[in-house]
Amino acid sequence: MTSLSSSAAAARATFLPSSCRARPAGGRRSQLLVTRAAASSPKLPGGRKLRVAVVGGGPAGGAAAEALAKGGVETVLIERKMDNCKPCGGAIPLCMVSEFDLPLDLVDRRVTKMKMISPSNVAVDIGRTLAPHEYIGMVRREVLDDFLRNRAQKAGAEVLNGLFLRYEAPKERNGTYTVHYNHYDSSNGKVGGEKRSFEVDAIVGADGANSRVAKDMGAGDYEYAIAFQERVKIPDDKMRYYEERAEMYVGDDVSPDFYGWVFPKCDHVAVGTGTVTHKADIKKFQAATRLRAKDKIEGGKIIRVEAHPIPEHPRPKRVSGRVTLVGDAAGYVTKCSGEGIYFAAKSGRMCAEAIVAGSANGTRLVDESDLRKYLAEFDRLYWPTYKVLDILQKVFYRSNAAREAFVEMCADDYVQRMTFDSYLYKRVVPGNPIEDIKLAVNTIGSLVRATALRREMGKLTL
Amino acid sequence: MAMATSTFSPHPLSLKPQLGPRPHRLHLAPFPRLRSHRRLAAAGEAPVEAPPKPAEADPSPAASNGSAAAAPAAAAPAAPVAAAKAEAVASPKFQDSRWVNGTWDLSRFGNTGGAVDWDAVIDAEARRRKWLEDSPEASSSEDAVVFDTSIIPWWAWIKRFHLPEAEKLNGRAAMVGFFMAYFVDSLTGVGLVDQMGNFFCKTLLFVAVAGVLLVRKNEDIDNLKKLIDESTFYDKQWQSTWQDDSPSGPKK
Ligand SMILES: Cc1cc2nc3c(=O)[nH]c(=O)nc-3n(C[C@H](O)[C@H](O)[C@H](O)COP(=O)(O)OP(=O)(O)OC[C@H]3O[C@@H](n4cnc5c(N)ncnc54)[C@H](O)[C@@H]3O)c2cc1C
Repeated sequence: MTSLSSSAAAARATFLPSSCRARPAGGRRSQLLVTRAAASSPKLPGGRKLRVAVVGGGPAGGAAAEALAKGGVETVLIERKMDNCKPCGGAIPLCMVSEFDLPLDLVDRRVTKMKMISPSNVAVDIGRTLAPHEYIGMVRREVLDDFLRNRAQKAGAEVLNGLFLRYEAPKERNGTYTVHYNHYDSSNGKVGGEKRSFEVDAIVGADGANSRVAKDMGAGDYEYAIAFQERVKIPDDKMRYYEERAEMYVGDDVSPDFYGWVFPKCDHVAVGTGTVTHKADIKKFQAATRLRAKDKIEGGKIIRVEAHPIPEHPRPKRVSGRVTLVGDAAGYVTKCSGEGIYFAAKSGRMCAEAIVAGSANGTRLVDESDLRKYLAEFDRLYWPTYKVLDILQKVFYRSNAAREAFVEMCADDYVQRMTFDSYLYKRVVPGNPIEDIKLAVNTIGSLVRATALRREMGKLTL
Repeated sequence: MAMATSTFSPHPLSLKPQLGPRPHRLHLAPFPRLRSHRRLAAAGEAPVEAPPKPAEADPSPAASNGSAAAAPAAAAPAAPVAAAKAEAVASPKFQDSRWVNGTWDLSRFGNTGGAVDWDAVIDAEARRRKWLEDSPEASSSEDAVVFDTSIIPWWAWIKRFHLPEAEKLNGRAAMVGFFMAYFVDSLTGVGLVDQMGNFFCKTLLFVAVAGVLLVRKNEDIDNLKKLIDESTFYDKQWQSTWQDDSPSGPKK
């Protein structure tokens, strides 16, 4: 992989002609990867199947375990809490429902109006351009995660209730990994569980933001945002407003670098906000979010308060030997929108598919290059999406003036259609050059006006 | 990843100075009179119905100097402002007789000629935004904000912000922005522009870079390195997986 060192150099050097520019992943690089595992890696002895441990039973783990089991790999999934209710907004794109064959009753709410509210309370309803069958699905994580795990089990995966503790890397080249965990057995009512271990050929770390697998493999840290969320049960008449609507608030008051939200759940709403840069002030931002939504959630009772880290970017290392990371453990949450469920499930499935292919349906041993194929493919497919959202966040969440311009931009039908298409279907639709030029002119106009106004605000004393 | 915080953090550099009052080139505008008059009028527009009289009665010469102007301007209509503040504690909702049904009632912004005094609209909106920044308000669907800054004609902005702003608006800045988009992109070493067969994303990228230039302070534009670091940092985070396996590559 000598081309990689040159790509690193290219990233640092300036004024390189575009022809020697590096690509993020995939492209030239994927062609360079040698396809060999299935052909040349050793066949497993005694006709036994490849054994893989999936640590964590969130969307990433559930999707990975299912695809592994379906592909003929002997799969064990460890989840520490079967009824885990992960703190999460629970918004999923439409394509997730079809790609993962989710039954429609899993979707509590179908949001067709996303209200975006600027610091000066200009509100824009995004969703005017949606076709009648299009919506953003709102799910409860305890329901979604349970569904995906059950399906993995039906496909043949063994689902264990236990807390993963650590793993031991093999001493010899093609040796096995030892997974140590705390086995929870509800039948004997023993608290604390019982220490157990088993041997596997590969490990998929799907254990979320505080991943122990990542720690064991020395994957390095990522910068993270802290997200805070309150579940609020609001009166029925108020709930009607949120029937098919979600709200996003932007402004320095609700978050210096993210947004505050009100997302509808089955019978309550989730009110929350997040920040990377001012974590200590999160309570203040939450109060501000509550205040901005005041009229609409007044009289509500807080039934649950939760907080959780959200990764900002992938970990420096996502694979080591036959251990790899997927979902939040790897760091696949987008900037700007904070979306991670779909990418978790998708990365889990892609990783599993790479293992299945590399092991020739579980008959041969895999090696690091097989796991790297999943990484290359994931980066190739989604890196541009992550990058665009990173840019958008940097530009439009940087000040109240920029946020005003952002909301103005979102009022545009063309912008709405394009963003919804890319969000709902995770595909890039070719735009319309004329509309694009209009958009560029309008948005720059918005930015100029907002900046000019801010300049005036700077001179005012109230 | 200590770097993450410093690079990602939303630019206290560009945030801070713009929030507080700062001496700005605008104050050296060629028409200090006009400017001071406007400033005073603006200060008189307290969210309670303040008689604009005291403001007009004081065409303070000191107002030609930016920082000094603020003082007399604030002092002149002192009483109504204080009253407003006191009231603000009880009910911090923004109020202005010309703010009707979520927008500025343009008929109340007529100048003597009967045409809309756009400058006054700009003042009023700046004031409203500042007010909301200091005391954010609940958003309400019954009482929605429908005011859109784009109803203010472009020439009103140009006239108002003559030199510096007009300069930014003209083709030069746009050209700089356009080339910067491609330039920065090629520096990231990953060719986002090339890679995206999608014109919409290219537009976003272009707007984004232009936006960075516009929203930033002029001085920052000179600080090219920071801009580049900022736009390449995220790429490095993604690429690091691909770097540490090359024997000669930099270890992260
Ligand atoms: C407040 C908040 C709101 C969000 N809103 C949205 C949204 O609206 N839409 C969206 O798409 N994304 C959202 N996200 C992001 C999304 O929640 C994550 O990206 C997604 O859950 C990642 O899934 P995962 O399977 O990788 O990890 P997780 O969902 O974190 O799952 C990890 C699983 O591993 C288990 N586990 C952890 N450690 C161990 C161990 N040692 N042993 C055994 N099991 C273990 C955990 O119990 C858990 O079940 C939000 C995040 C937060 C914090």
